Amino acid sequence: MANKDLNIYVLIKQVPDTRSKAGVNPDGTIDRAKAGKMLNPFDAFAMEAALNAKAMGGPNSRVTAVTMGPPPAIDILYQALEHGIDKTCILSDRKLAASDTLATSYALTKTLEYLESKDGPADLVFCGLQTTDGDTAQVGPEICERMNLTQVTYVEGFTVENNKIHARKVIEGGAMEVIAELPALLTIANSYKKLKFKTFRGAKFVQEVKRNKPLQDEFIEVVDLAKVSARDEQCGLPGSPTIVSMTWKIGTVGGNCTMHQGKSAEELVGAVLAKESSHIAEFVKR
Amino acid sequence: MAGEVLIVAEQVNGEIAKVTLELIGEGRKLAQKLNSPLSCFILGHNMQSQIQRVIEAGADKIYLADHPELAEYRTLPYRRVLIDELTSWERPPHTLLMGSTTTGRDLAPRIAAYFETGLTADTIELDIGPYEHKAGVDKSKIGYFPECLYANRPSFGESLKARILGPWKDPQMATIRPGVFQLPAKVSRDPAEVPIKNIAVNLQSDDFRVSVAKIMREAGSKVDITEADVIIAGGFGLASQDGFELLRELAGCFNNAVVGASRKAVDVGWIGYPYQVGQTGKTVRPKIYIACGISGALQHRVGMQKSELIIAINKDPDAPIFSFANHGIVGDLYQVIPEMIKQIKAGALLKEPVLA
Ligand SMILES: Cc1cc2nc3c(=O)[nH]c(=O)nc-3n(C[C@H](O)[C@H](O)[C@H](O)COP(=O)(O)OP(=O)(O)OC[C@H]3O[C@@H](n4cnc5c(N)ncnc54)[C@H](O)[C@@H]3O)c2cc1C
Ligand SMILES: Nc1ncnc2c1ncn2[C@@H]1O[C@H](COP(=O)(O)O)[C@@H](O)[C@H]1O
Repeated sequence: MANKDLNIYVLIKQVPDTRSKAGVNPDGTIDRAKAGKMLNPFDAFAMEAALNAKAMGGPNSRVTAVTMGPPPAIDILYQALEHGIDKTCILSDRKLAASDTLATSYALTKTLEYLESKDGPADLVFCGLQTTDGDTAQVGPEICERMNLTQVTYVEGFTVENNKIHARKVIEGGAMEVIAELPALLTIANSYKKLKFKTFRGAKFVQEVKRNKPLQDEFIEVVDLAKVSARDEQCGLPGSPTIVSMTWKIGTVGGNCTMHQGKSAEELVGAVLAKESSHIAEFVKR
Repeated sequence: MAGEVLIVAEQVNGEIAKVTLELIGEGRKLAQKLNSPLSCFILGHNMQSQIQRVIEAGADKIYLADHPELAEYRTLPYRRVLIDELTSWERPPHTLLMGSTTTGRDLAPRIAAYFETGLTADTIELDIGPYEHKAGVDKSKIGYFPECLYANRPSFGESLKARILGPWKDPQMATIRPGVFQLPAKVSRDPAEVPIKNIAVNLQSDDFRVSVAKIMREAGSKVDITEADVIIAGGFGLASQDGFELLRELAGCFNNAVVGASRKAVDVGWIGYPYQVGQTGKTVRPKIYIACGISGALQHRVGMQKSELIIAINKDPDAPIFSFANHGIVGDLYQVIPEMIKQIKAGALLKEPVLA
């Protein structure tokens, strides 16, 4: 049986760029103001998965990329279009500031439901495994709970057959093959296929979209909380059950490291081994 | 009085996972501060034989959902059983903890979203303490809360560590990676004193929307660097895959020693993911950790800072790892490590330690 036309969504996020040196301190902390921005690397796998799912669906299958973030996050939507994603949507609203994962999953659910009201029900939603800044892997399953979708996390590979998902996923100590009914939400592991290069057509198309306002409106829908009928009190700070109550630097604690330098390797090693012989000796093979 | 401290157990092939016992050990401290019972929720099939281990780890109370359909973890059946039971309670647990494993990360957010409560991922420290919310955008949060779950985790932003809390709603939830907490010492107590509540399992057709076709688990060949006494870890400073051969040679000088790696060394493919130490890898606490060509980024540090003795070898005297190692050797690892192997093999450490 051929698969039906699939209505596919992929959730992507813009995160601080940790690959470039800008804004990245040597201790691994990030200066958000100085750091560049990039597509969450885990979401590139989700995008590849969404495009592959589209190829497995009926001829009128389509993929919509959705992001929640400040207006500059539109950059990653252009990136999605360059890779052949059909259309995009950004949820942007000041009231979303300080959202934790629960509030984020609420706002994204409302956005997906809004899009469904126009495009018909979702068949598949793809998420990255986790973000590099939030790093929780919670947003996907939380959306699943809210939308009552079937859930398959840590997906390493999948096909769509007879309108069902056949997926291989990572489990504790191994892997599992599952068959999941639609509609489903899949989070894609970074062992999935790498995102292919953007297409020439896609790149040319995006250049055109950037110049042409009506095209922008057609391919990049900008929505706010009112538009997707989200309740303010479930978003941002009021909608977040958790807060960060304090932060501290641990970079300066410790500092009682005994340094050994400026001598020959023989002397340096000799000094450490002599100092710690009582601690090390019992583990040395005899 | 606060609600229970509930640990949701994880099992693989009918055996309770180590992380569950670690969480019971840590949960004990929280339960004591709250003056609440520490309970453990077990889901699986033929789990009777495991109850003893959970009691020995320190649980005061056990919930047991034993059913053939629960033999292997699946999201929807497990979610159903947990939510059915928890919604029947007069008061929800104060704290609910799960391992931050592929299972816990799949299930915990479902429970959190159902109860619309907070969930802190990959927590590295837990505690109970007060919090006062004074002013803010959201008036409904204002108040004094004497008994909050503190969940500390590395933060990506400007600071290094963040305390996350959410006392406005119970259960207050967190996931914790295996190895972050120590296995508790055995508690000796009469098992008859520990009540076991058998949970009725009522699954619905909706819960079978995902079916398992095949399970693949490699027996035996598991690498578990968290069990080693000595870890020789390599980073990007090794400059090539061959560097790990040198590290293996050094590891060969010790009993129960393995090599480990930073994420950068794993990402470039020099060594597999099971060897990665850090926030997104394993948390280890060996007796000896020798870091070779590792800069000491926070995300690496949180996975190894509890090692008993840390020796860092780095050619950059300003490398952050020197701020928390016990001994820092400034030099080229390709000169230092062969020298270390040579001296250890020559018996430098086999002389009786001098007693002061
Ligand atoms: C969300 C997130 C999660 C992360 N999780 C982890 C994690 O779990 N584990 C982890 O390790 N990292 C993790 N990282 C990455 C982390 O921030 C660092 O990028 C990484 O730890 C750096 O690895 P490294 O020290 O091997 O490499 P580098 O930072 O490049 O350091 C290499 C070091 O080798 C030294 N060196 C070079 N040549 C020599 C030589 N010949 N002899 C001696 N020294 C030499 C250099 O001076 C330098 O200090 C994570 C990052 C993020 C954003
Ligand atoms: N602001 C966001 N906009 C769109 N998708 C998001 C956002 N935050 C998280 N996601 C999705 O949820 C996944 C897990 O994110 P996290 O829970 O932050 O680790 C990401 O890989 C994305 O697919």
